[in-house]
Amino acid sequence: MILPAFSKTYEGRTVLDFPGMEVQPGNIYAVIGANGSGKSTFAKILAGSLKADHRIKPMEGIGYMPQKNYAFRMSLKKNLLLNGSDEKRADELIEALQLSSLAQKRADRLSGGETARMALARLMMKRYELVLLDEPTAAMDMETTLLSEELIVGYVRETGCALILVTHSLQQARRIADAVWYFHKGQLLEHGAKETVLDRPERAETRQFLNFYGI
Amino acid sequence: MQSAVAKAIELILSGNAELMNILSVTAKMSLQSSVIALLLGLPIGIWLGSCRFPGRNVLLIANRTLMGMPPVVCGLVFYMLFSGVGPFRHMKLLFSVEIMVMAQIVLITPIVVGNMETYVSGVAPAVRETARGLGLGGFKTFLLLCNECVYPIISAYLLAFARSIAEVGAVSMVGGAIAWKTNVMTTAIMQHTNRGNFTLGVALGIILLTVSLLVNIVISVLQRRLSR
Ligand SMILES: Nc1ncnc2c1ncn2[C@@H]1O[C@H](COP(=O)(O)OP(=O)(O)OP(=O)(O)O)[C@@H](O)[C@H]1O
Ligand SMILES: [Mg+2]
Repeated sequence: MILPAFSKTYEGRTVLDFPGMEVQPGNIYAVIGANGSGKSTFAKILAGSLKADHRIKPMEGIGYMPQKNYAFRMSLKKNLLLNGSDEKRADELIEALQLSSLAQKRADRLSGGETARMALARLMMKRYELVLLDEPTAAMDMETTLLSEELIVGYVRETGCALILVTHSLQQARRIADAVWYFHKGQLLEHGAKETVLDRPERAETRQFLNFYGI
Repeated sequence: MQSAVAKAIELILSGNAELMNILSVTAKMSLQSSVIALLLGLPIGIWLGSCRFPGRNVLLIANRTLMGMPPVVCGLVFYMLFSGVGPFRHMKLLFSVEIMVMAQIVLITPIVVGNMETYVSGVAPAVRETARGLGLGGFKTFLLLCNECVYPIISAYLLAFARSIAEVGAVSMVGGAIAWKTNVMTTAIMQHTNRGNFTLGVALGIILLTVSLLVNIVISVLQRRLSR
């Protein structure tokens, strides 16, 4: 699957200049980089919810979980069923993310981490060719984070989709990613297998970024 | 003062025929104008709140201007259009409930539009982004957006209704406050007070205040429900 090249400029400042990339089905790509490096902008444009500087062909079969999740004013389970009618699937996902006790609760009253779990389950009600997750576990506790990672890996294996995971957790990238893309000031500065980018980065900027994590 | 209120309450309880007629004309007018204003204002408000297009700002400013328009100006325009010298004089609508409803639609539709626009432009981006992210279709997204707006729709309707029953400038000009025909609560209060007949005025005042109180209680409950 080919991701097109695109850029995004705000008030004369280019915040993203993506060169285009190929992604393989069944692989997880971790997108890392500092605050404001353009990760969310990248995901939003790919998902079609933000316009790039130049029109790009809208892509089909994309699932996208934004950094800020929105819960519709209905029960948690109904939120899931918005995205597919398979009740059994909904129950499985609710179970898998330990949401059973909250299934009938109004989703717009969930906590931040609960909302994120609901949004992840909601997305996984359907199959997509490409899935974009923008910091899905940022609001989650450690146990739920690990459960979510398990679910994400299982989903990719089952559906054979390609998955792009924006994350600030290098441990998370190590645990579940196949490849890592490092964004720096709107540029895709370095990309490759996770061992290469995380352990033997080529660019000085990447090394400096990784240094802050004490690695 | 005390005896005026007592007499007024007595009048309400007695089911006085003129009072009942005034109430029924008012209800007929306000229900019609507020429902039509809702049907017109809802799609316009949702459209203005959820779409970005050139000229949108001009429409918003126009709507805000209409929201602040003095009712007598609205009454004047309708009077001129439908009176003996106006282009629509042959319709013979002046001093009828129909023309009162029409004038009120112009006055209260902007209230519905403005309230819906404000709320929808707050939630629409998130609803859109989420629905698109899941790959839901345009129509389903629109239904979801409406579902998110249930309380604001009710409260916009109630505001429009409250404005409609309390409005006096436009309805007195185009309706003429004809007893047993176009006299509504507000115009009747003016009329009867001018004649020194306070009892009916006070009775109508009590009813108006009560309705307004009820409407505002409902709105406040809705807003409490709305805040997350
Ligand atoms: N609407 C906007 N107008 C102007 N600048 C914007 C707008 N949206 C985003 N930006 C800028 O674009 C840059 C990239 O933002 P983006 O949200 O993609 O960062 P990010 O890598 O996701 O950061 P974080 O790790 O904090 O989520 C930032 O400098 C941000 O200030
Ligand atoms: Mg971001």
